[in-house]
Amino acid sequence: MSKFLKAAFLALTVFCLSASLASAQDAKAGAKVFKKCRSCHTIGEGAKNKVGPHLNGMFGRTAGSIEGFKYSKAMRARGADGLVWNNQNFIEFITKPKKFIKKTRMGFGGLRKEKDRLNLIAFLKAQSVGGKASPAADGSAKNEETKTQTKLLAKDVPVPSHGILHLGRLAQLDEVAAWDIDIRPDGKGLPVGSGKVSDGEVVYNENCARCHGDFGEGIGRWPILAGGHDTLTDERPEKTIGSFWPYLSTVFDYVRRAMPFGSARSLNDNDIYALTAYLLFLNDIVEDEDFVLSKENFTSIHLPNEKNFIADNRKDEAHRAIKEPCMSDCVAGSPKVVSRARALDVTPDAKEGESVE
Amino acid sequence: MSDNKNTTPASNDVKLGRRQLLAGGLATGGIAAATTIAAAASDPLITEVQDWNRYLGDGVDASPYGKPSEYEKDTVRRNVAWLTADTQSSINFTPLHKLDGIITPNGVCFERHHGGVAVIDPADHRLMINGLVDNPIVFTMDDIMRFPRENRTYFLECAANSGMEWRGSQLNGCQFTHGMVHNCMYTGVPLKYILAEAGIKTAGKWLLAEGADASAMSRSIPLDKALDDCMVAFKMNGESLRPEQGYPLRLVVPGWEGNMWIKWLRRLEIGDKAWYQREETSKYTDLMENGIARSFTWAMDVKSVITNPSPQAPITHGKGRTVLTGLAWSGHGKISRVDVTIDGGRNWKTARLDGPSFSRSLHRFYYDFDWDGSELFVQSRAIDDQGNVQPTKDQLRAARGVSSIYHNNGIQTWQINPDGSAENVEIS
Repeated sequence: MSKFLKAAFLALTVFCLSASLASAQDAKAGAKVFKKCRSCHTIGEGAKNKVGPHLNGMFGRTAGSIEGFKYSKAMRARGADGLVWNNQNFIEFITKPKKFIKKTRMGFGGLRKEKDRLNLIAFLKAQSVGGKASPAADGSAKNEETKTQTKLLAKDVPVPSHGILHLGRLAQLDEVAAWDIDIRPDGKGLPVGSGKVSDGEVVYNENCARCHGDFGEGIGRWPILAGGHDTLTDERPEKTIGSFWPYLSTVFDYVRRAMPFGSARSLNDNDIYALTAYLLFLNDIVEDEDFVLSKENFTSIHLPNEKNFIADNRKDEAHRAIKEPCMSDCVAGSPKVVSRARALDVTPDAKEGESVE
Repeated sequence: MSDNKNTTPASNDVKLGRRQLLAGGLATGGIAAATTIAAAASDPLITEVQDWNRYLGDGVDASPYGKPSEYEKDTVRRNVAWLTADTQSSINFTPLHKLDGIITPNGVCFERHHGGVAVIDPADHRLMINGLVDNPIVFTMDDIMRFPRENRTYFLECAANSGMEWRGSQLNGCQFTHGMVHNCMYTGVPLKYILAEAGIKTAGKWLLAEGADASAMSRSIPLDKALDDCMVAFKMNGESLRPEQGYPLRLVVPGWEGNMWIKWLRRLEIGDKAWYQREETSKYTDLMENGIARSFTWAMDVKSVITNPSPQAPITHGKGRTVLTGLAWSGHGKISRVDVTIDGGRNWKTARLDGPSFSRSLHRFYYDFDWDGSELFVQSRAIDDQGNVQPTKDQLRAARGVSSIYHNNGIQTWQINPDGSAENVEIS
């Protein structure tokens, strides 16, 4: 590298560093970031504990040590182990709270951007009143921490005994329960619970009607849930729960895993029983608004179209018998167009395509 | 895997030996000279020094992850907005007419999501095996990377590819009629190795695969298939899966409908019966004309399409030498032959297959011919090594009606007009 280039490079490096330091101290930008925290935390004059503890004097304070605030066991344990908040460990914590302290009660997912984390620290330090924000706090607790966080060396990690290659670990029962939410037509997997048609109507109107319509008729191109009886042989069949779906278990399973669209897993099991009962009502499969669907009576309900599904039999189609197709003079006369895409004109305009950006 | 060179005999092979190259050069040279003389003015792109020939271009690292040329901005996936209610549960299409060879570049592999693209840090990803197993097991991505790996090239086709064409010609372009397909080389672990860590109980007959996305996409797969050739992939075409293709982990179900290739794969459950999930009852079942629906129609049948010329890729040169090319594939094996017609199925010629031929992978075919400038009706017809012949759309309609949405593998017709433009048509 020439001297000139070297100097230019250094100058550029210094410029970049000072630029990043300047942004690191942006308490004003940190105030914006703090909006994500303020529903649970307060800071400054008169700050009080809310859902989370007040944050005055946090830097330099032992974790989980504000008297009168009910911390998680995990947070108090880390404090007892000597965790004192400083820039470094706070950054690690706020990046992904549940990774740093596995069972912290703090429900926040974390700040993904380094800039946000640094600005938040600048804001918290600027706003802090009282407490003992000693200048030595930054990094002084580091050694102590390293001592408490003993990490197993690779050679000391034992090989498990399960399986053939002995990879992975045994799943905990509560882990399996958390993810194993599938339900089969024979009722396997149904949770304990029940729900009434009329309660389901309330759940439906609140969570489902905006896309599926007041009566399951579907708004725009959102799926139609009810009606469509005897339309399966029509030119435009309407495939609804009542007209097409073979099993009720699919309704419960699907609602529980994927609905409401954009807020999956937010309904409780009784709500889903009630909702499923209401969908039966909208499809005229039950007629009583007081009907209660439960784990116990679930498999006694059969959907009308259950019997009209068959296994894949494509191999029996007539054209499958053709093994050596015609190569010359296969059709008499010249070709005549019987259908054109341009007649419909539904192809999107090529000019409206997204660019590579 | 398979032979890298294809030896299928083709009627349209260009035979050029040393003698033809030397002696024939004289004959064609005469034509070339005439063309040069006929041009009114010399080409300034040649006679004048161009900017790119004088000034320096970008240095290395101008684009740490490279992008296509700015002149390729039309080589992009496209959405058909009216098909679905929103873009989170929707589909877009691979620009087949812009590609060649058999591999689909990662950035243009079509997308199909049911709850948007899940963004998952691999450090936070877990794969669980539960159900009828000796031990329920949890793997991290680090664990997955310690299994023996394999590399396999497979096409992935959505069961609804060409589904808009059942009632007649609808969309003008192979991107829209056939673009729910892509072809990648996957690096991953055979599923049987992963399942063996949990130990499958003898009562186990089915596998439920489930994704970690907002639709928790789930499908039942017969255990025989799972143990035969399914794999758990973390790389596509050499690099990590793209987020829209299931990063960090997806299931590969060779030859079977794309919906079963669960993305963001987080759980595998062993059971003694199928689960009849939403995507194998209310969707991905094929309604026949008589009101009966076929379920578990997994395999993608033999199929082909001419990608050039086609409505988005008209002929822009004059009469004479023309390259017709396209893709053929089958969920049952390798493609053994592709026939092409330019006269609407009256007469067929066997096309030239070129490039690697793998089972359940896209195959590239070419038919090189001299266009006389007249109207053409071009079609392709694929035959696989299991003896399956691609049917006509009318044969499919005769067997199924027009309401089945899925598994339309009928022969596609493009009308080529004397001006070189092309249209999606059906002919009698």
